[in-house]
Amino acid sequence: MQFSIQREALLKPLQQVVGVVERRQTLPVLANLLVKVGDGRLSLTGTDLEVEMVATTAAEKTTDGEVTIPARKLFDIVRALPDGVRIDLKLNGDRVAMTAGRSRFTLATLPASEFPTIDEIELVERVSLPEEVLRDLMERTAFAMANQDVRYYLNGMLLDLQEHTLRCVATDGHRLALKETQLESKVAARRQIIIPRKGVNELVGLFETGDGQVELEFGRNHLRVRRGDVVFTSKLIDGRFPDYEAVIPLGADKRATLDREVLRGALQRAAILSNEKYRGVKLELSPGKLRIVAHNPEQEEAVEEVEADTSVSDLAVGFNVGYLLDALAALKGERARLNLRDAQSSCLVQEDDSEQSRHVIMPLRL
Amino acid sequence: MRPVDASPASINQASILQALFLPARLRRSPRILPTHSRFPAVSPTPRKILHIDMDAFYASVEQRDDPSLRGKPVVVAWRGARSVVCAASYEARVFGVRSAMPAVRAERLCPQAVFVPPDFTRYKAVSRQVRAIFARHTDLIEPLSLDEAYLDVTVSKSALASATATAEAIRAAIREETNLTASAGVAPNKFLAKIASDWRKPDGLFVIRPHQVEAFLAPLKVGRLPGVGKVMEGKLAAMGVATAADLRAQGLAVLEERFGRWGRRLHELSWGIDEHAVQPDRPTLQVSSEDTFEHDLTLDELEPHIRRLAGKTWAGHQRETGRIARTVVLKLKTADFRTLTRSFSPPTLPGSADELAELACALRARVEHPAGTRYRLVGVGLAGFVDRDDFVPQRDLFETVAPPD
Repeated sequence: MQFSIQREALLKPLQQVVGVVERRQTLPVLANLLVKVGDGRLSLTGTDLEVEMVATTAAEKTTDGEVTIPARKLFDIVRALPDGVRIDLKLNGDRVAMTAGRSRFTLATLPASEFPTIDEIELVERVSLPEEVLRDLMERTAFAMANQDVRYYLNGMLLDLQEHTLRCVATDGHRLALKETQLESKVAARRQIIIPRKGVNELVGLFETGDGQVELEFGRNHLRVRRGDVVFTSKLIDGRFPDYEAVIPLGADKRATLDREVLRGALQRAAILSNEKYRGVKLELSPGKLRIVAHNPEQEEAVEEVEADTSVSDLAVGFNVGYLLDALAALKGERARLNLRDAQSSCLVQEDDSEQSRHVIMPLRL
Repeated sequence: MRPVDASPASINQASILQALFLPARLRRSPRILPTHSRFPAVSPTPRKILHIDMDAFYASVEQRDDPSLRGKPVVVAWRGARSVVCAASYEARVFGVRSAMPAVRAERLCPQAVFVPPDFTRYKAVSRQVRAIFARHTDLIEPLSLDEAYLDVTVSKSALASATATAEAIRAAIREETNLTASAGVAPNKFLAKIASDWRKPDGLFVIRPHQVEAFLAPLKVGRLPGVGKVMEGKLAAMGVATAADLRAQGLAVLEERFGRWGRRLHELSWGIDEHAVQPDRPTLQVSSEDTFEHDLTLDELEPHIRRLAGKTWAGHQRETGRIARTVVLKLKTADFRTLTRSFSPPTLPGSADELAELACALRARVEHPAGTRYRLVGVGLAGFVDRDDFVPQRDLFETVAPPD
């Protein structure tokens, strides 16, 4: 096995796959990347047995073959080489010789046959959508995923596929983020899958701007995402996501519409004097106005007043200001709408003119 | 006034050890002790320490407040497969029911028992009443839980002549003002006071005067000494040591050789020496339970033990007044005596013993020892206490939605 490639052309696929490789592994071969050369192309695969990433690129002076090489070391070397240098890599026995300009490296290998790959995913549904759209869906909801929650099914993102709609939903039990898009074709049956947190983060890191298209393949136990140069595969969380639609408040009829950036600015300032641990702020609605009050244990106080399009009077609810800010940052458009009911009920935050992004935030007991 | 001892507490015999995971350097402060094997059990200025222990506290409160429960076996416990008995009335104890035993076992031992779910709000209110009584006599009060406390009455606020009179006055006031009974131990130090309060339980008083210490301890089974559990007892038995007198006969050198610093502590205990001061308002650093096994276990085999200990720790955590723990701690000791702890502060606090068990079990994934490593001890703790008043609970989206199964 051998190939020749320009540093930048190798660095990009390396960056795409190296994040999947865990720093501590259960099997030695999981510290390595599977390097495959065939048909004039080079493919790199990283895996942690849960998430697998395969990136391919064109290479020159190729001899077909495959082997596994320590991922971190290969990445660190390539990253540290000077710009524009040409890299030649060749397998000699059980070692890989790499030369670049006046640098020479010899790396240990493990046989490719030891490397676990996910081949068949038992495809049940396939949808195609613009990369920009999927990126938007995932980036604007991923922040709400739980982390190491005992409710393991919250430590990931729900992809809910029904009719013409794909929804991404994430929640840590305190707040929920939802964003949906319309698909070109209708799906056969409703599918709900949960992608583990790590898979979501890897996928979000992979997205690029541009007008490319991605294929989502829903398997029985896997999700596969294909883009021209990359194939991402993740195992799914085997669990049932809570009935998220039941917690999107219906009776929240006390509305206020505000300038999104003005509200964000006011919340950010008030946040400075909120309790560090619980970050509580109180929202007080009165006709035409939203008042934001924050206190900390040192008895310092912040009061902000924001013009609001509302007729609600006498409503005061406490929230974690971080959750409000996350939701507002995930929205687009000039105006944001808060839908409230009472001090015990959740708040629905959305764009004033669209239902595509919805954020549900539970109050604090102040 | 006595200088305040820097060490927080003696090693507590109870299954729920507070400050269990304190670094060793904090747990034992260096002390200068005579090196000869026999030294006087009477220190030059004997202290007067009380240990007051409410009798079958939670169960007694329930019987007091609900006359229909009086005279009946009452078990305070939640319903649930893995629930642990919080308290048992003396009528239930006759059947062998003990606190910290699995509730299902209690039900088997005493099917006719009335099971009552714990109501800590009420217990805490009574506990405050009792502490107010203590405060009439001294400011040096070290609460161990809602139902027991150490008091240093060497210098008493009340003009009572003796520590014994103070203990009687406290017991009388508790009976008068709360309609409950307490047992008291009076001794020159904390560990003896604790043994003494158990000596005439329930509704009893026992005094160990300084000159009686040596004789009192001599026939005492080593299992009564704080920190001597089943495993330690077995090891001592193998050496032919059954009582404190046997321990004394071994001598300091032998014990230190065999058990290191713990050997020195054993030697001191056998002579009734315990310099630990009563520490008023010592905040609980940790509520935890741990267990040493007869045979060392692998990480996987620890699961049922972690679950059981999580149940105990959870019950102990419920007794904390006004404070909430935010950090889950898993403690392990390898077969070759390396101790390690792993901790995690989850974004959503555990809400039950089961959830605590899940978190503690999950912490095993962060243990990097090779797969075959065996462990001799496991502990489950809750730490990082914050005042409940500081804690503004975040409401949960799914608290009203049935969890998926």
